[in-house]
Amino acid sequence: MQTTRRDLFKFAAGSAAGLVFTPVPWRLITDTALWSENWPGIPRPARGEIHTRFTNCALCPAGCAVRARCVGPQPVALTGLPGQPLCAFGLVGHHLPYHPGRVTQGALEQAAAAIAHRDPKASIAVLDLRPGRTASWTYRRAMAAIPHGLYLAPKRISPAVNLADAKTVLSFGAPLLEGWGTPASVFAARERFRLVQVEPVPSPTAALADLWLPIRAGSETALARAIAQLLRKQALPPEVAALTGIPEEQIVSVARQVAENGPALVVAAEEFPAMSELNRLLGSLGRTVFPRREAPVPESWTRAAAPVTTFASVADHSIGVLLIDESAPDTYLPWSVVQKKLVPYDPLVVTFASSRAGYGRHAQYLLPTAVYPEITSDLPPALHSAAATFRLAAPLVAPPAGVVDPPTFVARMARLPLTPALRERAGAIHQAGRGTVSTWRDGKSVPVRQVKFDDFWSALNEGGCWIDSQGPQAPAPQMESGSFADPPVEQSSLPLVVVTTAVPQPFSPLLSKLYGESNLRLSPGRIALHPETARQCGVTDGARAALETIRGRAAVQVSIDSGMPPGVVRVAATPALLDLCGPSARAKVVRV
Amino acid sequence: MTRYGMSIDIDRCTGCGACMVACAVENNIPPAPEGAGDRKGITWIRVFQVNNGEDGSNRKSAFVPVLCQQCGHETPCVSVCPQQAVRVDPQTGIVGQMPERCLGCRYCMAACPYHARYFNWWDPVWPPGMEKTLNPAVAPRMRGVVEKCNFCHGRWHAAKERAAAQNRREIDPGDYLPACVEACPTGAIRFGDLNDRASVPARDARQDGSFRLLEKLGTDPKIHYHSRQGWVRQIASAPSGKEKARG
Amino acid sequence: MRNRGTFLFLAGAVAALGAGWMGLPYAIYARRAQPVDFSHKVHVEQGGLKCNDCHELRSDGSFAGIPRLEKCAGCHAAPMGATAAEKQFIDRYVAPQREVPWAVYARQPENVYFPHASHLKLAGLSCETCHGDHGRTNTLRPYQEDRISGYPRDIWRGMKMDTCLECHRQGSRKNSCLECHK
Repeated sequence: MQTTRRDLFKFAAGSAAGLVFTPVPWRLITDTALWSENWPGIPRPARGEIHTRFTNCALCPAGCAVRARCVGPQPVALTGLPGQPLCAFGLVGHHLPYHPGRVTQGALEQAAAAIAHRDPKASIAVLDLRPGRTASWTYRRAMAAIPHGLYLAPKRISPAVNLADAKTVLSFGAPLLEGWGTPASVFAARERFRLVQVEPVPSPTAALADLWLPIRAGSETALARAIAQLLRKQALPPEVAALTGIPEEQIVSVARQVAENGPALVVAAEEFPAMSELNRLLGSLGRTVFPRREAPVPESWTRAAAPVTTFASVADHSIGVLLIDESAPDTYLPWSVVQKKLVPYDPLVVTFASSRAGYGRHAQYLLPTAVYPEITSDLPPALHSAAATFRLAAPLVAPPAGVVDPPTFVARMARLPLTPALRERAGAIHQAGRGTVSTWRDGKSVPVRQVKFDDFWSALNEGGCWIDSQGPQAPAPQMESGSFADPPVEQSSLPLVVVTTAVPQPFSPLLSKLYGESNLRLSPGRIALHPETARQCGVTDGARAALETIRGRAAVQVSIDSGMPPGVVRVAATPALLDLCGPSARAKVVRV
Repeated sequence: MTRYGMSIDIDRCTGCGACMVACAVENNIPPAPEGAGDRKGITWIRVFQVNNGEDGSNRKSAFVPVLCQQCGHETPCVSVCPQQAVRVDPQTGIVGQMPERCLGCRYCMAACPYHARYFNWWDPVWPPGMEKTLNPAVAPRMRGVVEKCNFCHGRWHAAKERAAAQNRREIDPGDYLPACVEACPTGAIRFGDLNDRASVPARDARQDGSFRLLEKLGTDPKIHYHSRQGWVRQIASAPSGKEKARG
Repeated sequence: MRNRGTFLFLAGAVAALGAGWMGLPYAIYARRAQPVDFSHKVHVEQGGLKCNDCHELRSDGSFAGIPRLEKCAGCHAAPMGATAAEKQFIDRYVAPQREVPWAVYARQPENVYFPHASHLKLAGLSCETCHGDHGRTNTLRPYQEDRISGYPRDIWRGMKMDTCLECHRQGSRKNSCLECHK
């Protein structure tokens, strides 16, 4: 008898019926579901023993203390210490080594060769975007050892302020409640002072201030001078109210508040002479404003260091080789400002950075650096400390191979002896015998005189903090501050005034929670316009548009904000947009 | 039994967003992919900015953090879930979302009156290497499931483990703090056991001017808000239309 | 044959039942041996060790799990016996400082939270309650893993959610999903 197809079907049907009573189909279904829960797209967190390590955050000069929760060697969460919380950027600092825009390769030998073959008569300068560190002293010593060497700071080092003692704070656009200075000390002192915020746009600080003066953009100097005249008991110039857009009674009232409800403090986003004059008139110096002091420095360094020159005071077209330390960028000078100081033919620009977003777009060479929390560096004196401090950002993870340490590179270029500068500095502090060192693991503060140097150095490497003692002994050195001028005013016929909000760079992709996944902050690359202004430009909320200035145009996205003043465009500026806008720019917004 | 809740002082919130970021770090919430706006983002806690509708110097703003309100009475999401993927935990009062049971129908997202539930439209993607920074105490979710604030119950687990190591059944109250509470620099968000009359949220809830969001729906939320500013209280209960909310 | 059709049908059913019940475990589970032929018996009897000498509860309540290399290398920096297995272990792992890639029989899904601290100290469970006489075996049984889902076969033998619910379905723990899930 032959096997027919029907036989096969009968057998198959029997198998199918039987199979249903076996685990096979059910296991296949559940296992596939289980597989989908763990398919390669879903990462599995690493397990391991949990350790706690301490360091200081190096994302901005506040240098808040950090307690890192580590699984094995890897930090998985950063928190502040009790009473010293971290800001949103500091909370995700541990992501930065894996930032998608991170650069780890650079043409090190070629850059060194290009610098060695420079024109010996042209000046060579280091632009230190975070002055006040021990690395800054290394640069100053290197530039003193090289002919035509210059050490440049981006702007004048502003004095230290003491918010805790202030009763009235007059702020010209300083983002007090958005990560200015040391956030923890601002919040701690907030209940005790009255905040008058002078700002053209409704920033969160303006929204929460006790009084917001929505000044016309660009007229802050006029207002400061007017208040100064009132403080000198002179008459208020009649045109100030029209120029600034603030009613006369309000200007008079503010002047009375700062004069009578003292101690007063005047701060600004960018220092300008008229506001320093106000502090002088109000007697803030010594009460709420102090010279910025840094920790003791080895004697040999001070003897052989180039002076601090502010970038603005360098002669135009004079720098042949510019080395920019962008590894910890506190300030970004727009490229047009930088370019003006370079020689017109064949300038050489080498930037030390961890991402291409900044000067990497303009420099001939980009040399990769370590990024927080890989770096070993000290922190500059904080804005909120009248006493000198010294803290190390101790590394939590090792940097990748191939990165450059900028002060080592510059020291080698200048043929300085390569000594462990941070340890030498700690030695000088220990020798001076003043101040206390605080450690976080046990919460103790011990006078430096009672600690041996090795223990002091270990404490610093575990995120400890040295604070100078107050008192009549010879104070710690004052940082050279440099000169400053009134902010420039651009003359052009473009209709809108630009107000830029700089976005701290780099930041973890998780900050998308604030930018993009919510509307809490203006995302980098977005502009904010008043509804009427937007209508005149022909754009709607969320539309793609082009921002045009005298330097070019860039693609942006529009947000409509009814709190914005008409005729002003607020730009959340990446370095590329800061280049486009320059200082105090005017712009046009067009539909695309 | 404990009934964990929060009190949020709106007058102290500065809109810094540290709570939003700390929440994402603790709970392994991935960064947004391209094209995720505020409608498709995942922000278990989200800070909104509200203002009183005036212009210029008279404009007043406030920041309001909104997270899962942990409704206690006829919890809307619990009552609609076809999978029983969300339950009010009897031991803590936390409305516990179980992404592993969720089938992604999003009925709960429609039911939630506070829009506090978020859907994983995409598989989580971290930049290469960044997955090393994930928190082992919280399981990452795949795409197609809903997730929401669970009051950082991973930290509750850790507090219980620490107590068990010392042979204690009760946790030390100060040992368990959600990430947002720990990160808030002004102490605007406070956390504690509402069943304990002496705890901070219980005391704040009894204060004058304390309110809850959408009180009239009767969901008995465990998040109590407080503000001394009348216009803020007014927005929370009955927005008149002039006030604007953004965020 | 009048009932040839029925006969074939039944034959198919029996074949499927047989293959499904007997053959499925072989098809669906991948077996592999542990990287080191470790004998619990030797360490307990000759080394005088107890469970928590290596599988310890740390002071913060977390469980160390399978010990890391440094614990083994603490004694086995040099051979302590004469077995080939120990020599292989030292050559392959201790000398080059490589962590042993142990296969964990009880590996639970990522979303499961099992704290040893509360079960050992508060519930007073002994290791044998869940892990049987694993601590007295002379060799480690081969590790079997589901080819599709990736989970170990041993979970099916007493470490599924049903087992946990035998205790956790009582009293105040009833319906507390958050207690055991991350």
